[in-house]
Amino acid sequence: MPRASTRAVAITGLGAVTALGPDVRALVTGIAEGRCAIGPLTLFSHAGRCRIAAEVPEAVPVPLAAVAPATARRLSRADRFALAAAAEACRDAGLDAALRQQTAIALGATTGGMRETEEAYRRRRAGEDRRFRLGRMLGTPLSTSAAAVSQALGLFGPRVTFSTACSSSALAIAAATDAIRAGRTRLALAIGTDQLCRLTYAGFDALQALDPEPCRPFDGQRRGLSLGEGAAALVLEDADHARARGARIHALVLGHGTATDAYHPTAPHPAGAGAVAALRAALADAGVSPERVDYVNAHGSGTPQNDAVEVGVLRAVFGRRLPRVPVSSTKSQLGHTLGAAGAVEAVVTVRALGDGLLPPTVNLRTPDPAWADLDLVREPGRRVPLAVAVTSSYGFGGHNVTLVLGRAGAV
Amino acid sequence: MSPLGHGVEAFWSGLLAGRRSPDGAVPPFERRSYARSPLGRRIDRTSLLALAAARLALADAGLAAEAVAGDGTGLCLGTALGNLNETASFLDRLFARGAANPLVFPNLVLNAPLAYVTIELGITGPTAMVTEEEASGEAAIAHGVEVVAAGRARLCLAGGADELDATLAAVLGEARLLTRGVPRPLDPAADGPALGEGAGVVVLEPLAAARKRGARIYACVEPHPGFAVPAPVHGWATDAGAVAAGLRPLVRDADAVFAGASGSPPRDTLEAEALKLALAGRPVPVTAVRGTTGDFGAAGALDVAAAALALATGIVPPTLGTGPAPRAGLAVVREAPQRAALRCAVVPGLARGGMCRPLRLEAVG
Repeated sequence: MPRASTRAVAITGLGAVTALGPDVRALVTGIAEGRCAIGPLTLFSHAGRCRIAAEVPEAVPVPLAAVAPATARRLSRADRFALAAAAEACRDAGLDAALRQQTAIALGATTGGMRETEEAYRRRRAGEDRRFRLGRMLGTPLSTSAAAVSQALGLFGPRVTFSTACSSSALAIAAATDAIRAGRTRLALAIGTDQLCRLTYAGFDALQALDPEPCRPFDGQRRGLSLGEGAAALVLEDADHARARGARIHALVLGHGTATDAYHPTAPHPAGAGAVAALRAALADAGVSPERVDYVNAHGSGTPQNDAVEVGVLRAVFGRRLPRVPVSSTKSQLGHTLGAAGAVEAVVTVRALGDGLLPPTVNLRTPDPAWADLDLVREPGRRVPLAVAVTSSYGFGGHNVTLVLGRAGAV
Repeated sequence: MSPLGHGVEAFWSGLLAGRRSPDGAVPPFERRSYARSPLGRRIDRTSLLALAAARLALADAGLAAEAVAGDGTGLCLGTALGNLNETASFLDRLFARGAANPLVFPNLVLNAPLAYVTIELGITGPTAMVTEEEASGEAAIAHGVEVVAAGRARLCLAGGADELDATLAAVLGEARLLTRGVPRPLDPAADGPALGEGAGVVVLEPLAAARKRGARIYACVEPHPGFAVPAPVHGWATDAGAVAAGLRPLVRDADAVFAGASGSPPRDTLEAEALKLALAGRPVPVTAVRGTTGDFGAAGALDVAAAALALATGIVPPTLGTGPAPRAGLAVVREAPQRAALRCAVVPGLARGGMCRPLRLEAVG
């Protein structure tokens, strides 16, 4: 359906906790250096064929002054990631208590507190605990992370939590954009968070979807994805409001599109029908023609199927110009951060626009011959002025979201 | 789909008659009645409940399933805990044998109901899966209302589903968080909720379009973004005044309130106090459907259905289990349905962690 409004929404704050480090600076440095953060799986034991993941490396400091100690003890690791990223984004945006009070929250997640819950479940079933420890399972509802962020940081605008698999936080960004465009709020924090857990790791491995080596998006020998974890947060703000208070505008959300494959619970539509529709709808919503796109941050999970379908999608929309549009997959460095991917990759794309620095596709030894003509940014550190970029996330169940982002001052 | 039976008629007549479900379970049904795609055999119970409710809603709206396929239709579903049964058995196998079932894993994502319903009905428009604990049903319907109001879809199916599960019952039972008898919503003597399961889906269309096609209109609803108040992250807010401030504009002219009260003391206390303050002494009829259906995250979708039915029929169903002195002196409808001129009904949509996603419905015509 065509949209009436195409007002751009400002991004005035960024936060991130990823396998590359505890904040946006670490993330951007790691991206620029082309560092691959996929390493040994240490968080739990797994008896399958895959033993690697992109783990958040250290205990993450979180702002818990406003949270009772009993509550803090019961926060899941996913809650903590969300809190840390949200705190950084709010600080970055210069949100004081009054502005935070009115800030809405839109969060995307898939595993939430499952790591803690599965362990409590295991212990009870094995008789190691005589009762279910409910206090360890309180993070099971995914909306807990948004509640934690709200209470810890004093954000009391409208709140929503989405879970659409890999596109969850991209949908959260889209929803936050809509809320601001519709005038329901002037400020919204869009967050994505996810943590590794045995259930998800074992499930993907059983589906033979994991590469035993670090994933190789777009490589001819690619064998699957690598799982990651972390969180990212973006402060979205009405552009006039941002300018009036002198906020630094990192970039603009120019538009977004969501479309559904209605095809299969896990496999993408073979012709990428939903992905094409989402990309086209996003560009239309942004009022941007394909010729104006300077960079594509792909879903690029590294599975044989996804990458092939995705290139088909990009060819369908960008046509003969595609070889001149740099395309890269951040999952080559951070793995697939599932519910956090939309937000993490949006932060990476925002910084790419601002810095004029293309995120690379690492681990790419030999591109699939089907796309030998494409510019997949195999080398880190390439500087190019960028005005407009797209970032796409494709979720299990055929849920596709594309965001169109523009450099502040360039559009 | 509710513990009272399959479809609107069973739900509404059961509510009015004060029928009590023995176990909070949706009565058995044939999978093939609702799951018709080749994937139908694999659909998990939560998704199946959502799919059944979606098909029933379309039939009730006089819409053929084929007519809604395509990108002009949206779908917004909510669930608090999703597919618990298969998650538990997946983990059992993983921990006992180190083996994971690849056929079950795709069903464990929280958006499995969204995927299956879009596949079965061919919906390719805007879709979303939301999760807001006790307000999951309300939040999904509220999101659907926004989708239609923004012109992003001509039609939107919206609602939620949650299933009964033995592990959940064990977890809550061991923590002594369930009633030992029957749930008593809004009763000071309540000792906890009873668990239930079910799914509720509504069909949302622009009012003008619905009139144009001669649809039977139960009620109309405006978008509302909801609000948040300070609260313990994992618990219920204790400042009823903050909740009342948010609800006051919505209940100012309400003729009925469909409370989420379940017999859980902290939840019921908050809701009762907040409603008392927000209603400012007006003796507005209040009823709590969870006294009948039991408690589950998406039960609010059934509240919305009940509110719409109340507006269409002028009848507020009674609350089961509540004694003669309800909390906060609220005018809880008990013992028999209450007939009234109903122009406006409100579903408060409270959830833990300070979340509130209310819906205000109005009679039409």
